[in-house]
Amino acid sequence: MPVNWQQYEAAGLWDELVAPSGRARPGAGPLLRVLSRLTDEELSERAAAAELAIRTMGITFTVYDTGEPGGIDREWPFDIVPRLIRKREWDAIAQGLAQRVRALNAFIDDIYHHQRILRDGVVPAAYIEKSREFRPRCVGIDPPHGVWSHVCGTDLVRDRDGALYVLEDNLRVPSGVSYMLENRAVMKRVFPELFKDYIIHPVDDYPQRLAACLRSLAPEGNDSPQIVVLTPGIYNSAYFEHAYLAQAMGAEVVEGADLRVGADDCVYMKTIAGRVRVDVIYRRIDDLFLDPKAFRPDSVLGVPGLLRAWQAGNVALANAPGCGVADDKVIYTYVPDMVRYYLGEEPLLANVPSYRCVEKADRDYVLDNLDKLVVKPANESGGYGMLIGPQASKRQRNAFARAVRANPRKYMAQPMLSLSTAPTLAGAPGSPDRMQPRHLDLRPFILSGAETHVTMGGLTRVAMKKGSTVVNSSQGGGSKDTWIVDLPG
Amino acid sequence: MKHSLLSRVAERIYWLGRYMERADNTARLINVNTNMLMDLPTPRPLGWRPLIDITGSEALFDSLYKEANERNVCRFLTSDARHPSAITCAISAARENARTVRETMPGPTFEYVNDLHLFARSELRPNLSRGKRGAALEGINSRVQRLEGFLSQNMMHDAQWQLLRLGNRIERADMTTRIIDVRSADLLPPGHDLAPFQEIQWRSVLGSLNARQSYQAAIGAPISRSLVLEFLLREPGLPRSCAYCLTAMRRHIRSLPRHEAPLRACDRTAAFFASVDLGALDRESLHRFLDECQMRLGQLHEAVTETWFRVASG
Repeated sequence: MPVNWQQYEAAGLWDELVAPSGRARPGAGPLLRVLSRLTDEELSERAAAAELAIRTMGITFTVYDTGEPGGIDREWPFDIVPRLIRKREWDAIAQGLAQRVRALNAFIDDIYHHQRILRDGVVPAAYIEKSREFRPRCVGIDPPHGVWSHVCGTDLVRDRDGALYVLEDNLRVPSGVSYMLENRAVMKRVFPELFKDYIIHPVDDYPQRLAACLRSLAPEGNDSPQIVVLTPGIYNSAYFEHAYLAQAMGAEVVEGADLRVGADDCVYMKTIAGRVRVDVIYRRIDDLFLDPKAFRPDSVLGVPGLLRAWQAGNVALANAPGCGVADDKVIYTYVPDMVRYYLGEEPLLANVPSYRCVEKADRDYVLDNLDKLVVKPANESGGYGMLIGPQASKRQRNAFARAVRANPRKYMAQPMLSLSTAPTLAGAPGSPDRMQPRHLDLRPFILSGAETHVTMGGLTRVAMKKGSTVVNSSQGGGSKDTWIVDLPG
Repeated sequence: MKHSLLSRVAERIYWLGRYMERADNTARLINVNTNMLMDLPTPRPLGWRPLIDITGSEALFDSLYKEANERNVCRFLTSDARHPSAITCAISAARENARTVRETMPGPTFEYVNDLHLFARSELRPNLSRGKRGAALEGINSRVQRLEGFLSQNMMHDAQWQLLRLGNRIERADMTTRIIDVRSADLLPPGHDLAPFQEIQWRSVLGSLNARQSYQAAIGAPISRSLVLEFLLREPGLPRSCAYCLTAMRRHIRSLPRHEAPLRACDRTAAFFASVDLGALDRESLHRFLDECQMRLGQLHEAVTETWFRVASG
């Protein structure tokens, strides 16, 4: 039975492709037509082809908590229906993202130097003093171009009225960009005919942009710097991506044990020809594991003396240690103020309205309205440790209320958004509702070095379970290809 | 951006070469043994035991199984997860090595290795019928060949390539000596008239190494023990002969930086292989000779490991 878009129901939600009337949103027409021309079997065949492509291409991520030692490799979950954004709308979003990351980098640089924004009372100093991510050892360091977060992944969501919000900025070691690239490759294999109907802006220049960004960080006087990607190893959930990006950039993937800091405070890697100087490290391990001499002494992933080499300016680290001070769900609430403070501009992108539990009025409101709010810990990622009030039990809410009272600095809260949806192949073959709305978000990536670059679109993550808004792949989320399109004609 | 080969990556590529060859040889060995046994008179109580000896895993096998029958030996060699050199395990190890270095290999390399892995996992089940087992093992051979062909035509012939081939050739030379060693032992209980079956055994040795046609073309004489030994150990034109492998190893080693110690070990090994009059060896002294050959190859492996994979810190 072919898809009948008149019967597609996304009641009360904003759907990215289908308007409430059942008609296509601007630009989505050709896509919906192609999909509704396919028979039930053909849809299943395309989904199977995508699955096969993903399996043979070895696109995987690692899941823990399965009882298997070291976690297990899962094939990347992918939905064959792409998500569309018009180029004109995207250009405005990209500008807003670049503006936001400029302000965030200015903030981090300020925090590790004069702390003007604290002294001017725009952001309370107590937040920084108590931040788990503030690194005293980074005070006074001048990374190239004043940039600390070179690769930022900012999560965007749309509410039921179609309004776009920034949900959070991942400034430390955001992942997902390789899946953005692979999703496009899979889509080309599975739906080649769609690429005739649309002018879809390519995404595959990302590795070269990243390489250029990293090169611009190299210590001066080196025309062809040695770039490496530092990974915790093959059992890390994002190892696939580390290897993928390194290959695409022509860089080495290294583990901590491959690197040594010499007596000259320079970083070297061990090769079959002896030691070779390293100029730029795109590190994909957390700050605290980078250097057992500077941070956690039990880290076996890091390189002893690395921080010293970085402080001496002999090696660039991307992202810079300490940049997580701005990657905090409470600090997030101040980003619009940062844009005004550092750039003297009005923010182009809006935050989700947020409540700071450390402020009494906000906290009282949060405690009185736990059943309507999403409460998030300041320093977690991957969707862990959150309370989704409307879906939680009374006991869970009470436990969170106690936690908020005990440690208000650690929490912020936001109203429950109704994330926008897109049609997703979720129904059983033969059923009238094979295409069902599923909630999604979008993670574009912003590169900052000598220049700033925003990806064309980003990684669309989709909650594959009906009604769920949790899109993290570690918790059952999937993904879609994201198309930035010029409208035909 | 200039490229320098990490010691860790070098080691994994070398093992990728070894594991691929190991899986390929083991698959071939089982199929040739199956065919040979069909030509031998019954009873043939030692029919499958020699394959355990070839892989040097007698102790492990005996701790896991009571009897070295066809079913147990084949399971042990193809898919027993407790046996690290079983085909499925060797392929998993090859895949793991390929996975950790995938960024350094031509794009689809990992897809080929992964395909091999998925094939082995789904096809090499315990208790397969002879027919299905034969087809599955041939499937392994053809997939390994496809991978090798792809790599030789698409991989940069740089240091990684040299290490891949070096691992491959060391494994192959080692396996060739083991195949000869085991096949030179008697497969039949005393009391049989051995003469007609001796030829079957030596023909199966050639078959294990895909070398029957080559033998006929190069030697032209009827199959005999001393000629087959000479051919498999010393024929410079036969890609699975020890001499061929050693010449290739020397070339690979010389192309790598800081190669003095491995080159010395390689030359010593080659000299040892050439040092005896094969025709004059009886069964016992042939066994001792092949044992020593394997030890020398082991020393060469050590020299390779010491020189390139355990780079001194500094």
